[in-house]
Amino acid sequence: MQQAIPYKSWPLPLHTNTGHTQQSFTLLNDMTNQSLVSPKAVLKPTEDMLSMVSESAVIVFARRGCCMGHVVRRLLLGLGVNPALYEVDEKDEGAVIKELELIRNGKDGKVQFPAVFIGGSLFGGLDRVMATHISGDLIPILKDAGALWL
Amino acid sequence: MLYEKFSFFIFSFCLEVRSCSSRQIRKKKLNLCLRQKYFQLCGFCGLIAKALRGRIFLGHPSLLVRLSFWSPKNMNSPSAQFVTSRRMGVYDPIHQMSMWGENFKSNSNLNSSASLIVEDVKLDSQSEDASHGISGPSNQYDQEATKPVDKAQRRLAQNREAARKSRLRKKAYVQQLETSRLKLIQLEHELECARHQGSYIGGGLDAIHPGFPGAVNPGITTFEIEYGNWVEEQNRQIRDLRNALNAHVTDMELRMLVENCRNHYFELFRMKETAAKADVFYVTSGMWKTSAERFFSWIGGIRPSELLKVMCGSSQINVLGPQLSPMTEQQSAEVVILRDACQQAEDALWQGMERLQQTLAETVAASQLIEGSYIPQMAPAMKKLEALVEFVNEADHIREEALEQMFRILTIRQAARGLLALGEYFQRFRALSKLWATRSHEPA
Repeated sequence: MQQAIPYKSWPLPLHTNTGHTQQSFTLLNDMTNQSLVSPKAVLKPTEDMLSMVSESAVIVFARRGCCMGHVVRRLLLGLGVNPALYEVDEKDEGAVIKELELIRNGKDGKVQFPAVFIGGSLFGGLDRVMATHISGDLIPILKDAGALWL
Repeated sequence: MLYEKFSFFIFSFCLEVRSCSSRQIRKKKLNLCLRQKYFQLCGFCGLIAKALRGRIFLGHPSLLVRLSFWSPKNMNSPSAQFVTSRRMGVYDPIHQMSMWGENFKSNSNLNSSASLIVEDVKLDSQSEDASHGISGPSNQYDQEATKPVDKAQRRLAQNREAARKSRLRKKAYVQQLETSRLKLIQLEHELECARHQGSYIGGGLDAIHPGFPGAVNPGITTFEIEYGNWVEEQNRQIRDLRNALNAHVTDMELRMLVENCRNHYFELFRMKETAAKADVFYVTSGMWKTSAERFFSWIGGIRPSELLKVMCGSSQINVLGPQLSPMTEQQSAEVVILRDACQQAEDALWQGMERLQQTLAETVAASQLIEGSYIPQMAPAMKKLEALVEFVNEADHIREEALEQMFRILTIRQAARGLLALGEYFQRFRALSKLWATRSHEPA
């Protein structure tokens, strides 16, 4: 099983903005499947979300403690991908969904959690990930996005 | 002369009748005798009597009056009256009969409205007459003209009432029977369901599902019925596939069979999706399957990787199993990739399930007893349980996708063989379950 090499370590600008809702932001910064380092940071919404999405090859948005999100993460980790994870609190759900709908590139249907962004654009939910993986299309897509090598 | 003979006959008959203890027998005898005699007379006079429900309606009212005296229970002092009435009864009918005969002679063509009211009507109505306050014999002659008619009318009305009441009672009874019958059918069905699912599962602790899920949940009952039909259809399709493959039919025909089979499986997934919404634990526990199949149950069905393995016909994909026509190298490679992908998806889903179990256990362990009830703290646990529906749907989704991919990789003939292998696999497990069930019922 190939191990993912983290190609970037995230700088964590810690700052709060009084006008905006506080969102807790958890990043995965791990080398192996086992150890998960999750530094907590509070960031400004919108711009940073857009930058997050476009900068990371794979990012997963999921509710906190959602087991489906866990499934997606496990699947991607199992493939050797290092997905960034954005855990959403219940109160922030609505706001985050709105942001994501702005970000996505004209995809049909509502954004549902867990939501996976690959290569800066919305890929879909768990269903789509599973389907594409079984049909064998997921790995090429990940490779194209630069999330996988080899 | 005839009248004398007739009256004598009547007198003797009366004595006989009166000696009878039961009112009913008296009635019948009187009826019979009078009827006979009347016919004779009618024959003589040229009249036809109409017997209405065993009752003969005699014309002259005064005759009825006389006849009414024959009843022993008449007045306050029945014995005295008895004698009086008897005597009167003896003589008067003779008198009356002559009158009656004259009347008949004069009115040779009696209109049909002439009704013959037999004495038995009066016999029975004596009890009512007593309550109507008939004072004395002297008044009898005056009131008797209207009384018999009244009595007759009353009698008829009471009879009608009785008939109506009895009809209503019968209707109520029949309705009761119908509802009981329906209940019985339902109970039998529930019993069958429970037996089919295995009595060892029966959870009496669960108040909502006391071991009879079919009784409580209509969605599940529907699913069970539909699944029964599905299995029958499945057996039919397997038979068709087998025959087709043995007969070496063309690819086109085979394609149709394969399409049918494939759509049939997808139908099952839709059914399971609906059932999962109705009762997810029913689906995940595999209660709808036979016992041996349940042993292999993985999130409400067969493991997707197992499914692929069976379709390919052997544990080693490179070995050309007897089920499959030779696969090309390309195909073999694709199947390997597919099986790996399937395995990874399975693992991910399973880890999610374990996580769900863990968090649920933690939530339940943390809940405390507040004011004698756990319910307020159960809300987060309930939410987690709802997530189980998604897991079941996702598992079925993986199965569906795996099947689809197989159809893409394999040729039609290979797909047919694969479906046949899969169908037979399930059939064998069902047979095994049945065998096991009968075996465990044998005495040790």
